[in-house]
Amino acid sequence: MKAKCYIKGYAAISPQESFSGGFAPHLLTLEGKNMMHVKEPDYSGFIPPNSLRRMSRVLKMGLTAALQCLRNSNAKIPGAIITGTGRGSLQDTEKFLHNIREYSETALNPTPFIQSTYNSVNGLIALQQQCTEYNNTFVHRGFSFEHAVLDSMMQLAEGNATEVLAGAFDEITDEHFYIKSRIGYWKKELTQPAELLESATGGSIAGEGAAFFLFTSQPSDICLEGIKMLYKPSEEEVQQALQNFLSSHDLAGEEIDLLVSGRNGDARYAQFYDNVERQIPDAKVFYFKPYCGEYDTAGAFGLWAAIKEMEQWPANNAVIYNNFYGEQHTFMLLRKVV
Amino acid sequence: MEALKLKLKQQIIEALNLQDTKPEDIDDNAPLFGEGLGLDSIDSLELMVLLERNYQIKVEDPREGRKILQSVQTMAEFIKSKQVA
Repeated sequence: MKAKCYIKGYAAISPQESFSGGFAPHLLTLEGKNMMHVKEPDYSGFIPPNSLRRMSRVLKMGLTAALQCLRNSNAKIPGAIITGTGRGSLQDTEKFLHNIREYSETALNPTPFIQSTYNSVNGLIALQQQCTEYNNTFVHRGFSFEHAVLDSMMQLAEGNATEVLAGAFDEITDEHFYIKSRIGYWKKELTQPAELLESATGGSIAGEGAAFFLFTSQPSDICLEGIKMLYKPSEEEVQQALQNFLSSHDLAGEEIDLLVSGRNGDARYAQFYDNVERQIPDAKVFYFKPYCGEYDTAGAFGLWAAIKEMEQWPANNAVIYNNFYGEQHTFMLLRKVV
Repeated sequence: MEALKLKLKQQIIEALNLQDTKPEDIDDNAPLFGEGLGLDSIDSLELMVLLERNYQIKVEDPREGRKILQSVQTMAEFIKSKQVA
């Protein structure tokens, strides 16, 4: 995919002070669990009180990040709304399932069921902005956000839209943390974000967040040049894919100034990140997972962090590399427009 | 009856997550929908669930539900009538 896709505006709600628009990376101190939560903004300036009272946390996060992104972009009604989420509203899903059990499948409250559907955030954005354009939500675990990006690029390339609101949202709950801990997602020992990348054990720190971008076909400061996804590749396939990806954009590894890496401290998959760093030897490396934790759509925070780094640092070409537990691997290429 | 209405108001506030609303803010006879509390159709479903969960009363006929859910007063009268029956 070589279509020009410029980034006009963006917004993120994360465990960092990101919502205000700045980014001064701060490593949190965790207590008790390897889990970090977002710093929630005041939602009242974005969502009417009558809607706010009914929404669960991730819905508020997703909708508010999307609306802030539109505000930052001086846009109101995008030509498409495309999102990705690995888990949707876990809080609502859990509530609904608990109700089924508690009330023996009777007297079920409709709200958690309605909101537990993955496309709730998209629907809320469309309703609030009165947007009747293309609307799609991708739910593909570690490829959820990435498919939203790919679809956005295709919408722009085919001329179906000139501005696309794309984003991702995921939350972590105690129950989901427990379930995923049983299949080795999180480190068994309490690990602080500051120590995460030095860890020699399996698993990572759980995180969450919502990030949105307004992609446009009109030239802007930063261009998302391309995206490449690989499912369950070998180490060699990842290396070859990176080489092909860069050369398809007339670049060599040495020409990349910034590598934004999704290294998450999980020793089982560290070799993929080691290899990529060897192939991009001269780049400044920024590891974003110690600041947001691991979750299906952490790549969206990675893209947000890459843009902030490119704004603050003289990088012309940046590569974002992320993999989700060794299965879903993604490269994205950003270029500063001079 | 007064105790039932107070309890009902507390249950409505909790079920509908009416932040910043206290039981004393809800007038017994004020309409729950449109004006008054400004509830909507999803709230009406939640109030039906509230009646079923807390009072074991199932409202089958939607037309009947519209009358019952007019105000706290009408809800309380309906619950009382079912309890007596």
